[in-house]
Amino acid sequence: MLTKRLIFALLYDNGSFMLSRNFRLQKIGDLNWLEDNYGFSNVGYQIDELVVIDVSRQKRDSAKFCDALKQLTRDCFAPIAAGGGIKTLEHARELLRSGADKVVVNSALHDQPDLVENLASEFGRQCIVASVDTQKIDNSYRVFKYNGTVETAYSLDQFLLRCAGLPIGEIYLTSIDRDGTSNGLDFEMLEHVNHVKDLPLIIKGGIGNADHIVAGLAENRVDAVATAHLLNFMGNGLARARELAISGGINLPKF
Amino acid sequence: MAKNEVVIVDYGMGNLWSVASAIKFLGKTPVVTGDLSKISESETLILPGVGSFRRAMNTIRNQSIDKAIFDSLRNPKSKLLGICLGMQLLGASSTEDGLTAGLGLVQNEVVRLANSEIKPIKIPHVGFNKVQMSKESKLFDQISADASFYFVHSYAMQILNDTSKYTTTTYGHRFVAAIESGQVFGTQFHPEKSQKNGLKVLENFLR
Repeated sequence: MLTKRLIFALLYDNGSFMLSRNFRLQKIGDLNWLEDNYGFSNVGYQIDELVVIDVSRQKRDSAKFCDALKQLTRDCFAPIAAGGGIKTLEHARELLRSGADKVVVNSALHDQPDLVENLASEFGRQCIVASVDTQKIDNSYRVFKYNGTVETAYSLDQFLLRCAGLPIGEIYLTSIDRDGTSNGLDFEMLEHVNHVKDLPLIIKGGIGNADHIVAGLAENRVDAVATAHLLNFMGNGLARARELAISGGINLPKF
Repeated sequence: MAKNEVVIVDYGMGNLWSVASAIKFLGKTPVVTGDLSKISESETLILPGVGSFRRAMNTIRNQSIDKAIFDSLRNPKSKLLGICLGMQLLGASSTEDGLTAGLGLVQNEVVRLANSEIKPIKIPHVGFNKVQMSKESKLFDQISADASFYFVHSYAMQILNDTSKYTTTTYGHRFVAAIESGQVFGTQFHPEKSQKNGLKVLENFLR
């Protein structure tokens, strides 16, 4: 039986790794900091997947990002999805040559659906993770683009319907409201994912402790939960969350 | 070619860095190359792959990589491991983007994952799943029966004839998770992404 997934997400900004709260970024540390506090050659055994996003708000240096990706993944034999500002096929190819198995697209879903088509015909749709950012405004879930800075004309339902028409492999859904708050995942947004019920669903935003992880993974509609909180699970926090989930009957792989 | 070298066939598609890292971790020297003479002289080949079957086969044919692989396998000491799409390419054909012939090193066909009428599945098949290991397996030697491996695919290789020859996984339907046929090996899952158990599969192949 296919297991659920606990995903750790890393937000990269020009050499640093960031903590995000409602999509506002705060610098936490560099690759050395990550190695000291998580030891990625070992953390691989505590997570099912790593997502690494270049969230640089200034000009992106994709060669530097690829180098960081290579360093991160050198002795980390876990699946990796990478992305952030992918605008060309070549950019995606570089990520896939630097340790990534899948590419994460967000703005391209809005601005370049043809690029998504091209990526899928080159790398297969299983390689495309569609990242969607949503925020609840006046009781309606709205979709945002450009790192959550621009509200689009779409409701979450409408946008996921649009995504369902694209050749993508997974949905990576982030609640902007919950992002970085540690208040727990937003389960209400799951009422709007019906159009993509045939695709694996990753949800993110709000995980503050192991109980939040277990609650997310226990949800039927959810295939994976992700946390990008760099401070909540330092040391062996992810390993303990994993143990708690497994002992609570969540179907996670045993490494 | 030096004994310790493992040629990772580069035809422009695939997570070459991860495969190379895993090979290095296991104490061998990865050589990532599309050079035909290097491929044909190698005794240990890995054919990785992420992407569309048709596109991959077109590239492999246009660059004569298929001939270089066949040349290598004429040496009885040579062995080849296809990973993910790389395993599918070993087969007779795939229906991805229209029917396309594969390398034909095994006779199995590749088709889109079929949904189960009883329990609907999400496609692609993404995540860690268990496998039913073939009894005579070299790849799964000393690996626990409840080990999980990382899959990410929408198409799968069909089982031909005798099920016991294959290591299989069931997702919707039962399909080939790993194939071992003489010099030719393949895994639908990514051993280089399957943590300790995956590294052990690679180590068993390299042995």
